[in-house]
Amino acid sequence: MATKASNLRGWIWASPFLIGLALFTLLPAALSIAYSFTDYSLLDPPVFVGLDNYREMLADPALGRATLNTILFCLFNVTIGTILSVAIALLLEQRLPFSALARLIVFLPTLVPIVAGSLGWMWVLNADQGILNRALAFLHLPTPNWLGDARFALPAIIIVSLWSIGSAIVIAGAAIRDVPAALYEAALIDGAGPLRRLRHITLPMITPALTLNIIMSLIWSTQAFAAPLIMTRGGPQNATLTYAMHVYNNAFVFGRMGYACALAWVQFLATAILVALALKILTSLSHARPLR
Amino acid sequence: MPPIGPIIDRSRRAAIGALAAGAAAFAFWPSTPRSRRDIPHGRTVLSYWEKWTGPEGEAIQRVVDAFNSSQDRIYVQRLAVSDQNSKALVAIGGGDPPDLAGLFSYSVPQYAESGAAIPFDQLGLDPGPGFFTPAIERVLRHQGRLFAAPNTSYSLALYYNLDHFEEAGLAPPTSLESLADTAVALTRRAPDRSIDRVGFLPSLPWWWYYLWPVYADGLLYDDSSPDAPTAPIDSDACVRAFEWVASFPKRLGLADVRTFADRFARSYHNAGDPFLSGRCSMAFQGPWLANFARVYAPTLRFGVIPMPHAAGLPDPLQPRGLVECDVIIIPRGCPHPEEAAEFVRFTLRQDIQESLCRDHFKSSPLASLSPTFLSTHPHPGIAAFEAVARSPRVSVLPRTRVWKNYSELLLPAYDAIWAGADVRSVLSPLAARLRILIDRQQDIARRRSNGD
Repeated sequence: MATKASNLRGWIWASPFLIGLALFTLLPAALSIAYSFTDYSLLDPPVFVGLDNYREMLADPALGRATLNTILFCLFNVTIGTILSVAIALLLEQRLPFSALARLIVFLPTLVPIVAGSLGWMWVLNADQGILNRALAFLHLPTPNWLGDARFALPAIIIVSLWSIGSAIVIAGAAIRDVPAALYEAALIDGAGPLRRLRHITLPMITPALTLNIIMSLIWSTQAFAAPLIMTRGGPQNATLTYAMHVYNNAFVFGRMGYACALAWVQFLATAILVALALKILTSLSHARPLR
Repeated sequence: MPPIGPIIDRSRRAAIGALAAGAAAFAFWPSTPRSRRDIPHGRTVLSYWEKWTGPEGEAIQRVVDAFNSSQDRIYVQRLAVSDQNSKALVAIGGGDPPDLAGLFSYSVPQYAESGAAIPFDQLGLDPGPGFFTPAIERVLRHQGRLFAAPNTSYSLALYYNLDHFEEAGLAPPTSLESLADTAVALTRRAPDRSIDRVGFLPSLPWWWYYLWPVYADGLLYDDSSPDAPTAPIDSDACVRAFEWVASFPKRLGLADVRTFADRFARSYHNAGDPFLSGRCSMAFQGPWLANFARVYAPTLRFGVIPMPHAAGLPDPLQPRGLVECDVIIIPRGCPHPEEAAEFVRFTLRQDIQESLCRDHFKSSPLASLSPTFLSTHPHPGIAAFEAVARSPRVSVLPRTRVWKNYSELLLPAYDAIWAGADVRSVLSPLAARLRILIDRQQDIARRRSNGD
């Protein structure tokens, strides 16, 4: 049983983290709740405006567009990202030649800083001289103006974000390797083909890892910021304006910190609800060790 | 449960090791940071945040060096800062501002209204009315008080490629309408019908998408009634200007102009610049373009005229356009306001202002010019910029705190117009949204002044 002295020692050792957490996370978070009910520009003292900031959200057309873009981004990024990461992980787990090299290549993009990656992709997606459109033209396919046309800009940003799914692949691959071989052997004896083994053994067994990937991807997607900021600045016609960019613009470009705080809290609550829902659904689907 | 004694011993050893390493690092750490080694002993050090890098950064550094060697009490240390407005906002709001901050003049109302910039009369720095050109006075002052010093100013004009015009037997345009016709006449297409050279595109570059109403005498912001300002962006004049913008993709083909413009997304102010590389016959640009032409296209023959305005406007000989400034402010709460004022006073000297303007290829913000300023100016078209900057019809950006929000809202509207949307149906909802933002801003300002 822990003595008072050992408890105290524990608190002392934990105190640097706890003080940091209180000062740099909890206090700013609490202040941001208070600021969300004010008009605050950072330069002037805040003026209490009640629920005005929250009411204004209903009449903010840019917010509507940013929310829709973020939902679409989340939907496609999480869905396609999850399917792709599992598919690539399954492929990499086959005993193929150069699979170690392939794993390295798949993981490398996650090591590239997002700014450098985005700038590189801007050239790849360049309408006139980009390698993608050159390849499409060679195949006599249409060559869209990926970043300049409102219809293609968001899909282009989604493609760019899918470039760095290396860590999701590594997690999925580790989970696949962890599936007991006895299960596959038993299924083989029962005459199960590859697709049935995938559906009835692999996927249920790696659900906890998939849950982790999906939750991480969901949280990351709701905060999409750097790639659209660098590649399109939210344009054309706000086609790539994300919720996080709208928060940033209001806080640091328009000097409307109070409104930005209100936006951020709504984003936080929406993300928390989404994650809780996803966690509940995915945990109920899990056939293996639960994620708790 | 495993015994915790050995764990605590290990933790203690790790902690002692870390402390020892920290103490050793502290002992061997240089007492003076590298950035401060060159500072002469005993001087007050001012921190000066400025946005410029490259040749423009070198030019302002020469001013800083001249000040540092002109006296022995103060040493200004310039730090190149990107996204300076956001950083200054956070630094001042957080109570740790630099002594001097280089900003753009559209920020002056925000910093002045909130008391984030020290008014110059408090520091004995206001040179009085008539020292700057009238337009510069408007951008530097807020409610009659001077809050910023100019650090070069700029206007925009039309550059045109002399070879292209001579080859086509055309004269420079005299109105917005004739500019559009000339642009179409100068456009060349490749065998596959894609645009190989364009006469002019308002979106090449797109940086001044908000400015076109000025050339049809449209107002971006009407503060003639200070208690009830408006943003009449859906007025007939503004609609006329944006319809002119929309005529380019209509006449040259939206997909073609988009593809052409997209080639230059990262190619401004270098050898690939559309105007400098001869791919665009006319460019709406600032004076700095000539500086880049000197470096990247020394053989390019070009002329510069004030940007033509719409036909049928009053006082047709008076150029329209925009004047804005790079400015220095002294932030509230800075450690050395008096010393910062010394530096600003130094930069306000006519010889210093004109030398910096020459280095940046820009026009002067001062009302009077030295006799040799124009004749020794390196920009061959500086007279056009001076004509715009000193015109009684010249505009400045809206003097309101909502301007950044306004301009961000106008950008997607501009994109939609460029893509073929009906101009009035795009601008009307925007005007309604701006009405809400401006009213709200007015309301907050009233409540602040009432001490609510």
